[in-house]
Amino acid sequence: MPLSDAEIARYARQLLLPGFGPVSQEFLRAARVQVVGAGAIAGPAMVYLAQAGVGTITVDDAADVALGDSAHWLYPPDREGMPRMSVAIEALRRVSSFTKPKLHATGADPTAVLVCPESYGVAREAAERARAAGLPHVVAQGDGDGGVVVTVPVGAACFSCASMAGAGLPATPGAAASLGALAALELLLVLAHAAQDPKGRRIELVRGVPQARATQKQPGCACNKPRA
Amino acid sequence: MNLLDIRAYVCPMTWVKAKIALDGLAPGDSLEVLLRDGEPLENLPRTAEEEGHSVALRERAPEAGADAWRVVLVKGAGEISKET
Repeated sequence: MPLSDAEIARYARQLLLPGFGPVSQEFLRAARVQVVGAGAIAGPAMVYLAQAGVGTITVDDAADVALGDSAHWLYPPDREGMPRMSVAIEALRRVSSFTKPKLHATGADPTAVLVCPESYGVAREAAERARAAGLPHVVAQGDGDGGVVVTVPVGAACFSCASMAGAGLPATPGAAASLGALAALELLLVLAHAAQDPKGRRIELVRGVPQARATQKQPGCACNKPRA
Repeated sequence: MNLLDIRAYVCPMTWVKAKIALDGLAPGDSLEVLLRDGEPLENLPRTAEEEGHSVALRERAPEAGADAWRVVLVKGAGEISKET
């Protein structure tokens, strides 16, 4: 279905970008992104995904809003104690009427996954599920005043090959916002097919400076074996 | 000839509408654009050329209004990347 006049007006600024056109916007509209972990990094990431026109965002997080979450963009202090999923959905509905935010539930059929849990182990598990399901995914992990974003298009080196556990420090609000924005941009590039033949890469954010390098499959890793 | 009337629009919608119309054409196809004098006439042909299309005609279109112009764009073979 072609973009409506309202959609064209809403997304005019990105429709102007070289390499990005109405078909790219239609890809974003058709995308269904599962967001695993709706914390400090996912908050800004989901806002950017919604503002860019991702059609459906399913929020996958079992935690309740805690007092510390008030710095997480989507969670005002008066929502403390309520489920993060429902508060995040309420906030995303205010961001864009073109995006459908939903609770992630069994039977959801995502086309891509954004993995942002605070725990490295949970991130690895979620990334591996996405890889096994053949879904492109982006993993963002904070670590103090920096962190890492790993982009895994289908067939690229997996998150485990491209990452290592950090010190486990929670990301500062500024680092979390930066990582969330980077993660959203990476996923949008994959979803919009704006990057031709997208390769996996790892972006490290160190004291506010991002550095990107290509990822490589490690010998013996499951991602380095032909798919059955 | 494909026709696009963007007299009612202002920047950036003028070029967005033209870009979307060009996106649906094959290289070498023409797009006749009706637009207003001033900013649209200054910017649209220039932007089209920057993105790899060519301008085949630029003339006044008095039948469409005192400040109306007709510009015919020819779709280029591919978008010019602005990456360096």
